[in-house]
Amino acid sequence: MGSPDVGAELILRPEGEIKLETSGVNLFYDGFQALREVSVAVPARRITALIGPSGCGKSSFLRCLNRMNDLIDGARVVGDVLLDGNSIYDRATDVAELRKRVGMVFQAPNPFPMSIYDNVAYGPRLHGTRGREKLDEIVESSLRGAALWDEVKDGLRKSALDLSGGQQQRLSIARVLAVEPEVLLMDEPCSALDPTATFRIEELMLELMERYTIVIVTHNMYQASRVSQYTGFFLLGELIEYGVTTQIFENPKDRRTDDYVRGRFG
Amino acid sequence: MRTGAQRAWEWLIERLIQVAGALAVVFVLLIFVFLVRDALPIFRETTVGELVGGKTWLPTADPPKFGLLPLILGSLYVTLGALVISIPLGVACATFISEVAPRWMRETLKPAVEMLATIPSVIFGFLGLLLVGPWLADRLGLPVGLFAALGSLMLAFMAMPMIVSVSEDAIRSVPRALRENSLALGATRWQTIRRVVLPAARSGIVAAVLLGLGRAIGETMTVLMVTGNAAVIPQGLEGFLRPVRTMTATIAAEMGETAYHTPHYHALFAIGLLLFIITFVTNTIADAVTRRGGRMGR
Repeated sequence: MGSPDVGAELILRPEGEIKLETSGVNLFYDGFQALREVSVAVPARRITALIGPSGCGKSSFLRCLNRMNDLIDGARVVGDVLLDGNSIYDRATDVAELRKRVGMVFQAPNPFPMSIYDNVAYGPRLHGTRGREKLDEIVESSLRGAALWDEVKDGLRKSALDLSGGQQQRLSIARVLAVEPEVLLMDEPCSALDPTATFRIEELMLELMERYTIVIVTHNMYQASRVSQYTGFFLLGELIEYGVTTQIFENPKDRRTDDYVRGRFG
Repeated sequence: MRTGAQRAWEWLIERLIQVAGALAVVFVLLIFVFLVRDALPIFRETTVGELVGGKTWLPTADPPKFGLLPLILGSLYVTLGALVISIPLGVACATFISEVAPRWMRETLKPAVEMLATIPSVIFGFLGLLLVGPWLADRLGLPVGLFAALGSLMLAFMAMPMIVSVSEDAIRSVPRALRENSLALGATRWQTIRRVVLPAARSGIVAAVLLGLGRAIGETMTVLMVTGNAAVIPQGLEGFLRPVRTMTATIAAEMGETAYHTPHYHALFAIGLLLFIITFVTNTIADAVTRRGGRMGR
């Protein structure tokens, strides 16, 4: 493990507006410590990639950012996460409201067993949007935003379960866009997809970057280098190095980062 | 290497298992045949229409009257009443156990609810007869402490374990990812349960209710003890607070005092056959619903 004073130099603080910031986040599952003192600042309207070998804590870390870990029995977070400078672990935080602002796309697409339309309208309906026209509008713009509109516009009433895997994943993205989040957390969103579908999702992310702050966890280092502007490398629950993506991949400061991005392990 | 003796042994075991499997079906068929054989002669005395639609059950009068309507309606009242109580309670209980209760409570509650199923029905009859009936009659100002709704209440407790257990399995088998997706969209826990979890578990819950229905309509001892056993046609909602007699209770109460192969005897078998058909149909539907649910669930 790197000593803390050395570690501090390896963690860049991006310039410009900071959307999300964690300070000394530790995550425990019962007795097991999954994250150690993770402190990182995520810039607004940029794509930040989190990389690292399996079990390094990158997905667990992502789930700290919208408090999805609350759902796991025995999970406990020590430390703090600030969204626009306000603690999301504060007692007064409305967790449902937080998750509306910080949306999440999961590894495997999981459409609800209902129509395509109802899947996308699910979030807006939850948050009180009524009225046919308004919902129609949101469904169309969200499906367009997720580059799925043209493929499904003639069958919005069909079951979402009949879509292909890649379409389902774009539907998951449309569903999140429909609630107009500020931050988009993506947990290996392409790991179950073929290269064509992956390419479409990556294109989509670059478009979405104009309006959303995106944090993506990925196994695929090429994906991280293609889409992200900032990259963080996790190993054994620690954030080893964090910086501009080109620097992390071309000129990493820590030897372990170097080994990983050169494919020596993981 | 397999010796001849080993092969013979294998063959024997396989056949034994086959026979055991076939026996279950054979028994059901035999019971059906037996019921039909002893029920059919009643139609020498009466017609299907008169039997099922007849308003008076007086099998020992002269001439006897074999109208099953009061008994069918009696069973219907008691069973529907039981379902009205046990479905909301059972589904709510299953939802609580699977979605809300912390781990330790879930691990205590489910076995406790299933334990309810092991209480002999006569105990429920006992409780209803001596405790709940008089107490309720006193509160509601009823002349007697034996009435349809009391049977419903007792049956509801007996159908609950089935409904809770089967629905809880269905609710729990809804993929965790669906819940997470809903919550991640900013849904509250209750919104997630109502809009995603329960609809996804719908087929399992319907099956649970049908199994509970089968349990309630076939139950004998409890209703015999607590419903007053008056073979009158229940009228309106008021009928719930009056004594009724169910099909099952009629068979249990009268079979012992009936001479073999008299019309009365055959009439009781006709009731048995009707019950058999009702439970067979509900179970078949429950089975079909579960299978369909299994196919659609991914």
